[in-house]
Amino acid sequence: MDLFLQALINGVILGGFYAVMMLGFSVIWGVMGVINLAHGEMIMLGAYFAWFLNSNYGVDPFVSVLIVMPVMFLLGYVLQLVLINRVVDRPILASLLVTFGLSIAIANLAKLVFTADLRISDTTLSGAWAFGGVTFPVTKTAIMGVALVIMSSLHLFLQRTRTGKSIRAAAQNKQAARIVGIDINRIYALTFGICIAITGVAGAVISPVQAVFPFMGTPLTLRAFTITALAGLGSIPGALMGGVVLGIVESMIGIYVSGIGTNLAIVASFVLLVVILVTRPQGLFGGLRPHEEPAQI
Amino acid sequence: MSRLPRTPRLTLLGLLLLGLAVMPLVPDWFPDQSWVTNSRLFSFTQMFMLITLASNWNLTGGFAGYVDFGHTVFFGIGAYGTGILMGQGWSFWPALAAGAVFAMIFALMIGYPTLRLKGPYFAIAMLGTFVAMREIVRVWKGLTGGGVGLTLPPYLNRPLFYWVTLILSVIVVTLMWSIRRSEFGASLIAIREDEVGAEMRGINTTVNKITAFAIAAFSTGIVGGLWAYQNTFIDPDIVFLQSRTVELVMMSMLGGLGTVAGPVIGAATIYWMRDVVWANFADYHLLVEGFLLILIVLYTPEGIMGKLGSKNAISLQKLWTRKSPVEEESTETQPEEVS
Repeated sequence: MDLFLQALINGVILGGFYAVMMLGFSVIWGVMGVINLAHGEMIMLGAYFAWFLNSNYGVDPFVSVLIVMPVMFLLGYVLQLVLINRVVDRPILASLLVTFGLSIAIANLAKLVFTADLRISDTTLSGAWAFGGVTFPVTKTAIMGVALVIMSSLHLFLQRTRTGKSIRAAAQNKQAARIVGIDINRIYALTFGICIAITGVAGAVISPVQAVFPFMGTPLTLRAFTITALAGLGSIPGALMGGVVLGIVESMIGIYVSGIGTNLAIVASFVLLVVILVTRPQGLFGGLRPHEEPAQI
Repeated sequence: MSRLPRTPRLTLLGLLLLGLAVMPLVPDWFPDQSWVTNSRLFSFTQMFMLITLASNWNLTGGFAGYVDFGHTVFFGIGAYGTGILMGQGWSFWPALAAGAVFAMIFALMIGYPTLRLKGPYFAIAMLGTFVAMREIVRVWKGLTGGGVGLTLPPYLNRPLFYWVTLILSVIVVTLMWSIRRSEFGASLIAIREDEVGAEMRGINTTVNKITAFAIAAFSTGIVGGLWAYQNTFIDPDIVFLQSRTVELVMMSMLGGLGTVAGPVIGAATIYWMRDVVWANFADYHLLVEGFLLILIVLYTPEGIMGKLGSKNAISLQKLWTRKSPVEEESTETQPEEVS
């Protein structure tokens, strides 16, 4: 029973971890209709940035968030204006291929710059809290805390502020949003910037617990896709729930299926993806795009 | 190219093929020459393989519009099928055939659920299949050797591989040419243009999609097996190479999606371009390829065949067209106004 409880706790913590990594992917898709296949590479860039600050200047990854966030925002803003903006109105295949090309290029650039060695950051938040028979790893719980803070502030931003409302309006009906005077290009660049900033922060805070290497991106992008399909495009509570479901599935497999460990977790998330897409194409929680049917079968 | 009448075009093509077919014999005829070396034959062999792979990719991606980001999974199954069976003492040809059959069976199994998905969902589900399969191969150490890999019996005969891959690519391209002109090909294109409409006109879309997928998987599996035997060593990272999928997409797109000649032209162009980049800056070639893909999408979405004015070439604009809710409503109401 303790084992089950521990697996459940690990799964929930892992889920929070996934939710914050995938949030940006889900919102970009929900608002702009762009599937960013370079998403995992954005996580990687954030993680490398934090590792670089950590190993050269001794900055704790949880502190380096303050530097990573604005830099990644700028990167996202510029990427949107220079590249994504040119494919945002073209068929989805065009943006898919452009971001696919971007992901290959970034991963290989990272390999040239940082080499293929595995890196990991040091943090002062280490050890574990034990309650009864179960333990809470401190670093991962802190990541869960960061995830909750980011998600609730993004939720408040989208619901309460004027810019947030413009973003939601652009997601629901681009033409109508333009008619009432919303500058769509600026809103898109802002959305992309914010989402990449969040993604970079996620990368930075996971750098103490997950090995950082140039090709870590693709499996993460696939998980982002799974969670988004599970949750519905751009739904923030959905991202959290989707992340937790995937996290629990993966940690249960790790504990109960012997001899496999966590290597096959990606297989589990893929099977989950296909099952969800075939059985419930609209996702579990709705999302930002009420008009669009995500997958037609 | 399209301006030349049919007969001179076929003659030119025949001469080109004849020249390619006798090329490995040149060293025997002229012992002094230094151009036709084993490494040159190896380069051409790789190019024929890529032509075959790109044509296969184009069957589902270009004809049927089911763009697949994990096609390399069939290459990997062919390679591992051949490698594992040869490790059991099979000889090469039966092992190769069995590997290709495995790839086809896998395509039938995975195609049944995934081909029901549309557009990006299918593309990503196949990317997922690919990554999942790579992990399975890595974990299943008893069968595949895990990360250590498998070594096949070494067999160095460059001219043989050259001829086999040349013949294979000619067969596959001819097959694509005849499919393009058959009812089956017309059904695939109907699926790409309007799947629901095709279904309503009595085309069994499921059977057509799965057949195309299985054909592509079978000959991709053959290429995988040949590649494994030629390179004599396989491991998950070199067989399940993600950039191979990117290259297939790029080659078909650069040449012209949905045309027969497109993938051939695209594969030849990108192969020699990569050869030059690789020879000069080995570390940068994937970086260059990533940016190349972006440039192709931005500036040549209809490919070389499209630029030449081939009416079969389709632009990216036709695949997965994005409609805003407002436009959707207006297209829905139009037929009613007419009637």
